[in-house]
Amino acid sequence: MAKVDIGKKIQSENDRVAERNRRRFTEAGVLVLNLISSPGSGKTTLLEATIDRLSGKRTILVIEGDVSTERDIERVRARGAGGVQINTGGGCHLSAKMVAGVLGDLDLESADIVFIENVGNLICPATYDLGEDVRVGLLATTEGDDKPMKYPAIFHEAQLAIVNKIDLLPYLEYDVEKVTTEVGVLNPSCEILTLSALKGEGMKDWIAWIEDRLSRKKG
Amino acid sequence: MHELSVCQSLLKIVDAEMDKHPGTRLLRVFVDVGRGSTIEPILLKDAFEIITTDGRHDGAELVVREIPLVGRCRSCGRRFTYEEIALGCPDCGAVDIEIESGLELDIKEIEIDE
Repeated sequence: MAKVDIGKKIQSENDRVAERNRRRFTEAGVLVLNLISSPGSGKTTLLEATIDRLSGKRTILVIEGDVSTERDIERVRARGAGGVQINTGGGCHLSAKMVAGVLGDLDLESADIVFIENVGNLICPATYDLGEDVRVGLLATTEGDDKPMKYPAIFHEAQLAIVNKIDLLPYLEYDVEKVTTEVGVLNPSCEILTLSALKGEGMKDWIAWIEDRLSRKKG
Repeated sequence: MHELSVCQSLLKIVDAEMDKHPGTRLLRVFVDVGRGSTIEPILLKDAFEIITTDGRHDGAELVVREIPLVGRCRSCGRRFTYEEIALGCPDCGAVDIEIESGLELDIKEIEIDE
């Protein structure tokens, strides 16, 4: 009987592929954002509203992740973005390998921004680095204001938290400051934006945030 | 959940190591799983049993050490587990907390039978 030391992260293979993705994205000069949220928080609607506001100025590609259907990629393509749909067939998150598998289908050199819309899930995507520059944790006001601490992994890793559907605040008992404070406890360097992708409030700040990150990446 | 795909990643690492020791059988795998890692140890062990039914893996045991989710207040230095955290440091109320442990998903070592 012998003990053999390993001392590795179980995700080390995913991390290796994620770094390779990261190098590819940097080589192509694109800003990459990984959007993570529960189903129905408004990821796709946010992408539609973002594409509308950046159309003509920035070339956007979207990598859509869903268990099944092409619904989301059809929606963003209808707004003028290019992209590709990954169907996981039951898998609850995108992995670096899945993203690597579609990079050859995308004209990255002609793009400015790549949005990866992860599978609707506030838990599993937290453990999978995809090679992104920015991890965004999206919450909606309709989900209740107790979520950040219940899902610490996502918010601990995110650079940005977005609270969507603020147009519905008059109809809900939702304490935005409580959410902001909890995110700050989990990750003091995580920035926070509140907006309504559907009605437009706060979208200007989100676009400015993206543009700022893009100019930082392009150097 | 995806404990099965985590186990598959785990076994790939184990196999790479066992290839350096040909002819051995896997007895035990020791992993650290943080309380905040999103992975549930019971499901991980179930998944491990499912995929270790043949060859040199057959009969191997997964030993999980659960790592608590521990924060440290950057203001007063107090350490606490996440059951206590509420909205900030239980001592001074500051919200600048560093998470020191609890997000691990590591394979530490294996036991093989020579």
